[in-house]
Amino acid sequence: MNPIKTFVPIIQGLKITLGHLFKKPVTLQYPTERPKVAERFRGLHALNVSHNKAKCVACYLCPTVCPAKCITVEAGEDANHDKFASVYEIDMLRCIFCGYCVEACPVDAIRMTGEFELANYSRKDFVYSKERLLEKK
Amino acid sequence: MVNLTIDDKQVTAPKTATIYEAAKLNGIAIPILCHDKKLKPFGACRMCLVEVEQMKGRQIPACTTPVTEGMIIRTSTPDIVKARKMVLELLLLNHPIDCPVCDKAGDCDLQNLTYEYKVDANRFTDEKFHHEIDYNNPLIERDMNRCVLCGKCARICDEIVSFGALTFISRGIETKIGCEFDEALNCEFCGSCVSVCPVGSLLARPFKFKARFWSLTKNKSVCGYCGTGCNLTLGVKDNKVLTTLYDENQGFHNGQLCVRGRFGYQFINSDKRLTKPLVRKNGKLEEAGWDEALELVAARLKDAGASTAALATARLTNEELVVFKQLLQTAGCGNYDHSAGYAHAALTEGFAGSFGASASPSTILDIQKSDLLLVIKTDAYETHPVVGFEINMAVKNKGTLLKILTDKSGKLSKLPDARTLVHTPGSEIAIINSLAKVILDNKLVDASAAALPGYAALEKELAAFTPEAVSAQCGLTAVEIKLLASAYATAEKALILFPVGQAYPGHTAALANAVANLALLAGKLGKEGGGVLCLSEKNNSQGAVDMGFQAGIGAGRIIDGCADGSITTLFLAGENPLVSYPDHARVQAALDKVEFLVVSEMFLTETAAMADVVLPVCSFAEKEGTFTATDRRVQHIKPAIRKVGQSRSDFEIFGALIAKLGGVAPGTPASVFAEISATVPGYTGMSYASLGVEGQFAPVELKPAFVMPNAPAVTVEPGKLALVTGSALYHNGTLSQYGEGPMHVCPEGYVEISRADAAASRFAENDLLTVSSAGGSMKLKAHISARMPQGVVFAPYHFGANPVNQVWSGAPVTWITLAK
Ligand code: SF4
Ligand code: SF4
Ligand code: SF4
Ligand code: SF4
Ligand code: SF4
Ligand code: FES
Repeated sequence: MNPIKTFVPIIQGLKITLGHLFKKPVTLQYPTERPKVAERFRGLHALNVSHNKAKCVACYLCPTVCPAKCITVEAGEDANHDKFASVYEIDMLRCIFCGYCVEACPVDAIRMTGEFELANYSRKDFVYSKERLLEKK
Repeated sequence: MVNLTIDDKQVTAPKTATIYEAAKLNGIAIPILCHDKKLKPFGACRMCLVEVEQMKGRQIPACTTPVTEGMIIRTSTPDIVKARKMVLELLLLNHPIDCPVCDKAGDCDLQNLTYEYKVDANRFTDEKFHHEIDYNNPLIERDMNRCVLCGKCARICDEIVSFGALTFISRGIETKIGCEFDEALNCEFCGSCVSVCPVGSLLARPFKFKARFWSLTKNKSVCGYCGTGCNLTLGVKDNKVLTTLYDENQGFHNGQLCVRGRFGYQFINSDKRLTKPLVRKNGKLEEAGWDEALELVAARLKDAGASTAALATARLTNEELVVFKQLLQTAGCGNYDHSAGYAHAALTEGFAGSFGASASPSTILDIQKSDLLLVIKTDAYETHPVVGFEINMAVKNKGTLLKILTDKSGKLSKLPDARTLVHTPGSEIAIINSLAKVILDNKLVDASAAALPGYAALEKELAAFTPEAVSAQCGLTAVEIKLLASAYATAEKALILFPVGQAYPGHTAALANAVANLALLAGKLGKEGGGVLCLSEKNNSQGAVDMGFQAGIGAGRIIDGCADGSITTLFLAGENPLVSYPDHARVQAALDKVEFLVVSEMFLTETAAMADVVLPVCSFAEKEGTFTATDRRVQHIKPAIRKVGQSRSDFEIFGALIAKLGGVAPGTPASVFAEISATVPGYTGMSYASLGVEGQFAPVELKPAFVMPNAPAVTVEPGKLALVTGSALYHNGTLSQYGEGPMHVCPEGYVEISRADAAASRFAENDLLTVSSAGGSMKLKAHISARMPQGVVFAPYHFGANPVNQVWSGAPVTWITLAK
């Protein structure tokens, strides 16, 4: 065994490593540093609000188009006989963040936000109810 | 046939066809919006424009133009496409285009055509309509802002339903579809207008916003209510029947349904459905497991043996009835019956004697082929509304004469040239005998009649029924009877229709015999469009008769037997005698007395609440089997949804009990049907495969004979009113109480009285009246109508909350007094 042939590469490697310890890091220092999310990033959905009501009219187009079949809509009839979503749920565990729902919506009721921190502790917490999805102002 | 050229294709078409029909026949599609194959051509929308070379290339509507020999037609030149686009643009100009909230989206002709013709912009601008939306009734929403003025709703309501609730009102740009005086819709709610509306102007409210059309699974089935046996398409989502869908190619009725069929489906997924077996413990019904419940029933059946009796509803499938019979025989029970016994007597005793077969010789298809219809009781419309539509169409389109013998007038009386003879209640058999007598006297007898058995005896027996003698007690004049007799006898093809059912105790074997005698004397049998059709009440009443589900002492005496202790165990499969059998007190006492009561039911009915064991069963939408309609159309049903809760089909329950009693449980419904086709006359050669979606008629073999009917003498109690029971249009049996639609429009019982009687006693509409008879008394709301003759009142029988059998003890006519 030639000791030079064995140790020289190790020392060279350690030199690079040590060198980096004193250089400015190249990766994003998450979570202390926050990423700048692109405008068209497809993160957590939000239901748009207008006149203090969700804009969604429960047309069922997003559940129809959703390839992951993770949207549940149930329509209700309000006092004015108008249609609204009495239930609007998205199961984020199944969502593939394709954005088809946004594209399908005829009334601009749903959009995707920059929110990407969706980790949670239990499965049921991944099912976002209408209340959780309503846009926060 | 004529020869013509459509889009360079040489085709032939019948002389009477329109261009649209000729094209369709030859597989060439022309778009339509205002045309419907069931309705007369109208030509309102101009979607169907085509060019005809002989007309110098002018654009003409295909749906109204008849074909002629040598026509050269083009259906989609660039000019035509341009014109159709323009039609759509103009329609979309005023249309709100609120597809996201419109329930019609996905099934909307306007939407589909807009996509097909790629109309994505509009060259014109105009205001949208601002009509008020009609939310005044619970079943049909009318949003005239979406209307394209195709007129289909108004036309179907007039041409087929013959109600005439809707019409075009106002003129020019203001034109819209409205009701009289532009008021709220208040009609018979058959929903025909909803079914044909090409856009979302007319929508079914019970289904409003429930689901999108494309997310529904469409399952073919057969209506679970009356004996007409209409075909249904159930719209299913998430194991729930959410609606009935319109399929214009379904059944003899082309998808037409009545209010019960269209809006009465909610019982299938009702919250009130029983989902677990119930067993009485310490006097209370408590939930139990299937094993426990079935063990209990099996042990009891084993012990009780011959002192067991059973009553079934005529809503069970043929297969279930056969297996039920097998169960009862295994248990040694010899007394079972259905339909209260008397409601099937017209077939099992009447026709069996007169025709040698327990079935009607004619079918519903004969109605439109007939020259003269003789309807006994206007109630035929209420009991079998879609048969009523056939009568409407025969009279209005084919010029068929309509004669009605009845104890009250009704909707059928309003048909053009309908002749309604209102007689005193209970005298129909005497009148029909008298008609036969006139035919005999006037030598109108058919040559075939004299050779039939019983002719000489009939001639002798009828001597007493001269029109003069009968007219003295029946409220008709001798002349009226004679005119009717000769009209009937001289019509080339004449068909007699009469309803039977639990509310029609007067429509018995004797009536069936009288009617059969009349038809045989006049030689009306054996011709298309002629004969006799008995309208049986429930969806499988005829099937129950064909399966021979009656043995022993009969339903009436089974109830008596329970009361006197000779019957110790009673098995009720779907029957609700407490509400639907005559004499509430007697039935109550019998059910109280009987030691052990088993009820297999979908709901905790009044009767089931008295049971020792209640077995939850599933509805027609959850099981497989066959139903036989009133004209012996055998139709196959398949499960549309999974069984609700832990419910089981009667088929499974009976099978499990047979096994527990040590018998051989039947295989599948299909194998039982194979048995049926091998043994039941007329069903020979049938199988589920051969029935298909259309069903098959079981032919009826006739051995005609004259049987002299007993015309019951009607005793008149002076100073009292004659109460006749019957069916309300919105209901059938007691099942429709669990359908929200029927209950929205007709939630409770009532007593219908003439204006004269109401005025004399100062009764107003909706007054709560005390109805008293010899049998008891009860309270019912007053309903004053123009159709009741003075001295006669009518009450429907369907309602468990306040059943009319508290005053009605099974007589055809009950004498009552009314007080406020
Ligand atoms: S983003 Fe795609 S997968 Fe997620 S809910 Fe929308 S349509 Fe469905
Ligand atoms: S497509 Fe839009 S309006 Fe329709 S249900 Fe989805 S979010 Fe609501
Ligand atoms: S529901 Fe029937 S009766 Fe009423 S308007 Fe429509 S078609 Fe006419
Ligand atoms: S309501 Fe419907 S069926 Fe009636 S005219 Fe308007 S679009 Fe036609
Ligand atoms: S209740 Fe009778 S008439 Fe009405 S849809 Fe059902 S089968 Fe037809
Ligand atoms: S379909 Fe021919 S004019 Fe409307």
